[in-house]
Amino acid sequence: MSDKKPEKKKRLKTAEKLGKLMADYYTESAMVKAQKKPVAWLSSVAPVEVCYTMDVFPIYPENYGTMCAARKLSAEFCAAAEAKGFSTDLCSYALNNLGSIYLNKGPFMGQGLPEPDLLIATEHACLSMAKWWEELSRHFNVPLYIVDAALPVGEDLSPHHINYFAEQLRELMGFVEEHTGNKFDMDKFKEVLGYSDEASKLFLEIGALRKTVPSPISPIEIFTNMFPIVTLAGKKEAVEFYNELYDEISELAKRKEAAVPNEKYRLLWDLFPIWYNLNLFKYIEEKGGVVVADVYATTFGGRVDISRPFEGLAERYVGNPLLSYGVQQKTELYKQMIKEYHVDGVVFHSNRSCRMASMGQYDVKQGIYEDIGIPGAIFESDFVDPRSYSDEQVKDTLDSFFEILESRG
Amino acid sequence: MIADFQERYAKRHELAKRWKKEGKRIFGYFCGYAPEELIDAAGIIPVRILGSLDKVTLADSHLQSFICAFGRSCLDQGLKGTYNYLDGMVTSKTCDIMRNMPGIWSRNIEIPFVGYIGAPAKRTKAARECLIEEFKVLRSKLEEFIGKSIDDDSINQSIETYNESRKLLKELYEIRGKDNSPLSGSDFYHVVRAGFVTPKKEYNKMLSSLKSELISSKSSKDGKVRFLVSGSTFEDVNILKMIEEVGGSIVADDLCIGSRYFWDLVEPASDPIRSLADRYQMRIACPCKHPSEERMERILEEVKKHRVEGVISIVQKYCDTHLFEYPYMKDVLQKNDIPFLYLETEDRLGEEGQFKTRVQAFIEMLR
Repeated sequence: MSDKKPEKKKRLKTAEKLGKLMADYYTESAMVKAQKKPVAWLSSVAPVEVCYTMDVFPIYPENYGTMCAARKLSAEFCAAAEAKGFSTDLCSYALNNLGSIYLNKGPFMGQGLPEPDLLIATEHACLSMAKWWEELSRHFNVPLYIVDAALPVGEDLSPHHINYFAEQLRELMGFVEEHTGNKFDMDKFKEVLGYSDEASKLFLEIGALRKTVPSPISPIEIFTNMFPIVTLAGKKEAVEFYNELYDEISELAKRKEAAVPNEKYRLLWDLFPIWYNLNLFKYIEEKGGVVVADVYATTFGGRVDISRPFEGLAERYVGNPLLSYGVQQKTELYKQMIKEYHVDGVVFHSNRSCRMASMGQYDVKQGIYEDIGIPGAIFESDFVDPRSYSDEQVKDTLDSFFEILESRG
Repeated sequence: MIADFQERYAKRHELAKRWKKEGKRIFGYFCGYAPEELIDAAGIIPVRILGSLDKVTLADSHLQSFICAFGRSCLDQGLKGTYNYLDGMVTSKTCDIMRNMPGIWSRNIEIPFVGYIGAPAKRTKAARECLIEEFKVLRSKLEEFIGKSIDDDSINQSIETYNESRKLLKELYEIRGKDNSPLSGSDFYHVVRAGFVTPKKEYNKMLSSLKSELISSKSSKDGKVRFLVSGSTFEDVNILKMIEEVGGSIVADDLCIGSRYFWDLVEPASDPIRSLADRYQMRIACPCKHPSEERMERILEEVKKHRVEGVISIVQKYCDTHLFEYPYMKDVLQKNDIPFLYLETEDRLGEEGQFKTRVQAFIEMLR
């Protein structure tokens, strides 16, 4: 594994702005305790709009996991959680976060994250989140709200699925009011939802620009540019940023300017990046492969119907196909994406930390090949914990895959 | 008598094929959150899909090595055609493995009906209303499948039969927990498991006979260390037998194939769907559900009530929800001065001696 940082010289003009957004957010997170602003820790696909409506500062331990991994701290943190009795087989986002808490260490000024006053998690992306957040609630002894989703798998959403989630969002507002004293304001809520929807719309449009051949944006750029939609959904800054990013990328698309030179094979990526080795994308690119489509990034973009604020927000969070699709529906979705994005092959990252997303990959791969003849490759690793990562094995799998792609011409 | 229960389970596929020949419909379900009463009321025999101790061969090309042995073995059995007699399956949302299973199963194994209940994880009123809707959807899908309506009376009758089973199992559970009880923990495991694959009316007769037999028989448990066993599913009953052979006695449990399955009764009310939703939502929680405190409280109560001397947790490797709760459970038990032993399995007792040595040492410590 190479230690050099990917993307040393930023290709995109907006990269500087993104850097500033991130720096501002983390600077604020370092001061938020001193300002006595309430802090909530959120799981991914948890409704961050609630925080911005209620003037609560949101922190994402999962984002943090990606950073700890990138800065080579995750192995130490995972081991610290294991020392407390958490199995090494558990999700390394969770182990990394729990370990950093036990050690009170982190990538920023050596410190951990600002401690939570509230904990908010969803459980429909995976059940581990609810269990992890329960543990956080016991550790910090602060109130926890789990937003539960009774999602169908392989069937359409019904009104009661939306209503159940929406009902909890209403309850969650009350929960935040009760524990912070901050009052809910419908106008503020609608304003936040407006920004969230606008940012989502732009983010999805930027993703769709990858349909252009050659792709105007690289996978590392897409994954890096997820930060505002995950963390700042509901803030004006996110909308402004994505407007600029959209302009820049659509201009590149118009000029047919490739993000990665030598785009020979267009690839669909399932699902997580390896956060301590984003350079794997560089390796793929050296072979002429460019990841042009994924469902990971788009999971975080979802539209909101502002005329029905709570139901609309619920739809943003439970309406994502990734979270309720069975193997067959996922196969159909990927086949559709393969067509739209002109994809030559599919790479599946079988992530030991995520049974939820990894289970079924063999069948999806097989289904795509049987139906439309597009080949896939599966390699196994962990997205945050590098301790058992085998660069050689992963590259061997990819090498054989590129041989197949080459033989197909 | 226990041999009858054992045989029921051992010959389950043979029996199912016989029912099938008699023109009956059979549905499979994966876990104790599937509302069997609704399937039963549709005139379909529900059987629980469980793994086996056979070597997994076919599932390896569908599931990664980090998927639990239970999931792998179930799918493997399905791929080998063991469950070809099923007319359908009903799965309820519990863990991430169960969530993904119906899709993989139905892609590779022909099955005419697949019902999935997106069961909420919480114990709130809103969650209950949602579960009611999910059960209503299942009911109408079942009606469509059998081509006739399922009336409230049939559901109420099924509820009654199932409640009878649960009452009898609870009585047997209490008999097992008595001093010098004639019913061992491993035998009780056979008894519970037979219920997954026997039509409930017939099963109730078997349970009643067993109860009368036990009431008049004598102890075999004298002088042993009293354990509560907690954990996920496991196929190999030898894990429990081994605990008993080295001087332990299982007097209470918090097992998926055990009290968590049968403990709670359905309260009959005017709307049977509502009654069922109440029961399935508020039953003793699997660690898949939220919150977790009530399960721990019940374990503590059982420990007190049955004068338990130690808790043994048997957890399936890669079972996220049980694994996440292990440090919590350890902590709760420690705070209450209850000795605790944790065993991680892959569905079976495994290498001879390894678990045995640990259980022996645990028993030595407690004596």
